[in-house]
Amino acid sequence: MDSHRADISAEQGALASRDIPVDVKSEQLTLQDPRAVLSLLEADQVVAAKRRTHFGRKNLSLGTKALLWGLRVYVVAMLVIVLISVYQAIHAAR
Amino acid sequence: MDAPDKNPSLLAGQTAHPTTESAVASAAAPELIGLVTHEDVDRARDRWEVARARSKGRSKKFGSFRLLWLLVGPGVLVFLGENDAPSMLSYSADGSRYGVGFFIPFVVLTFIMGFIVQEMTVRLGAVTHRGHAELIFDRFGKFWGFFAMGDLIFGNFLTLVTEFIGVRAGLGFFGVRPAIAVGGALVIVVAAITSGRYWTWERITLSLAIFNGLFIPAAILARPDWHAVGHAMVTWTPFPGGNRYEILLLILATIGATVTPWMLFFQQSAVVDKGMQPRDINAGRFDTLLGALLASVFAIAAILATVPLFHHGINAADFQAAQFAEALEPLIGHTGAALFALGIFEAGIVAAIAISTSSAYAFGEVMQTGHSLNRPLREAWPFYLTLFGSACAAAALVLIPHFPLEFVVLTVNVIAVLAMPPALAFLLLLVNDPEVMGEHVNGFWANVAGVTVTVLLIIAGLGFGLATVFPKWLGG
Repeated sequence: MDSHRADISAEQGALASRDIPVDVKSEQLTLQDPRAVLSLLEADQVVAAKRRTHFGRKNLSLGTKALLWGLRVYVVAMLVIVLISVYQAIHAAR
Repeated sequence: MDAPDKNPSLLAGQTAHPTTESAVASAAAPELIGLVTHEDVDRARDRWEVARARSKGRSKKFGSFRLLWLLVGPGVLVFLGENDAPSMLSYSADGSRYGVGFFIPFVVLTFIMGFIVQEMTVRLGAVTHRGHAELIFDRFGKFWGFFAMGDLIFGNFLTLVTEFIGVRAGLGFFGVRPAIAVGGALVIVVAAITSGRYWTWERITLSLAIFNGLFIPAAILARPDWHAVGHAMVTWTPFPGGNRYEILLLILATIGATVTPWMLFFQQSAVVDKGMQPRDINAGRFDTLLGALLASVFAIAAILATVPLFHHGINAADFQAAQFAEALEPLIGHTGAALFALGIFEAGIVAAIAISTSSAYAFGEVMQTGHSLNRPLREAWPFYLTLFGSACAAAALVLIPHFPLEFVVLTVNVIAVLAMPPALAFLLLLVNDPEVMGEHVNGFWANVAGVTVTVLLIIAGLGFGLATVFPKWLGG
């Protein structure tokens, strides 16, 4: 996986300078040819590609689930405490 | 971990992050070519400019400056956007209640924390080309995704309300009626999005955001004791005295003025909308660092501008924006007070633009509708409706007579801090996910820094909770 991504990265590095079909040195850009548009973007940057592809669901380990639940309980408890503190502040002001 | 779809490309045989170069050559390319959208064309135009600047950067002396100019944006916007009305009021409360001391270096620390987490969103956005909400839904499923969205939308809406409070109060100093101030702010929000172009929106918002620097002349007019500032930066003293519960609340509000969930969602989505790619990550880091630096300087300026209130023993405990400016007028002059009020107005308007955009990005990503400022209104009306609708609803609340505005201002930064640990947990899990990040996965020290920030926020939140439930522990 990692080595494959390294290859991809190397391709990306070459894209702008060497293999791009659009002339980056010209002063005018014509994007009427869709291939010119595509050549400037990474494939998964294209809207149609993004719409049809998604990262798959991650299988959460027990530890990760416990962490997420713990933080969820933390947020709910803290929101209750915020309400208490606001009540106290309003009560004290009166 | 089960084998995910590995972002199966619609191009047969492609993997998670194929280049378009290979896509064009593939058999499926004609299908893609037929589906090129207005958004793709605009983004390609931006990428062409970047490619040109990169090409010229090798040969011309100032080419790299042009490249940075093109790639700077989301980082500066997110930090200057977070220097919003309630944040500037928190900094003002720090200065007016405790003078020059602990809070000056503490603010710098909070911006370091902010940089650590925001840098991760740059990498996530540039590598995956997906927004934060979309990635959370993809990788953790709807159950956890809706929790994250709930935190975001709730926090964003409350914060948006405070931005319009800032707009109203800032212009109130000049005698502008609330309805005109709030209505004018909505017009600016709409004007920023009418271009149908991310680049134009970003430059308009950046040009507004730079006026956050109005706090600098206001601070200079307050004639700060620079020796005391230097001493405080080195020693973190004098430490604030008095009611410890109030100090803890201000510490929490000051953290919440710098590190909040909407920033994670906004910057990642803006990086995607800008079309940044993995090779732009260093420029994105520079952008984020520049934003953190500018915002920390402006935040310290807000503290220094209000220090005269501390020296004159003026109790600013319940001050709102306009009251700060009015109280400062006899101490730093009309110009200084006017700059302060304008700064609060600016802080409110820029944050209103950024936060409503953050909500719209997240909504579009989750609902899988168009979610780009490069899209025309007819193609992405739910996105623009969310953006404008959330701003309108928040603005309307501010105009309701007897609406408890103080309640909202008091709690918004604290709620931001309390909602941050779960948001950071999702961020750290995503940025450590090799299936998502590939070679750009978090390194050891980035994880140490990220976990440290998360733990500090949890400790601050727990401290606040204990102090609220058991006030005698702090002698409050």
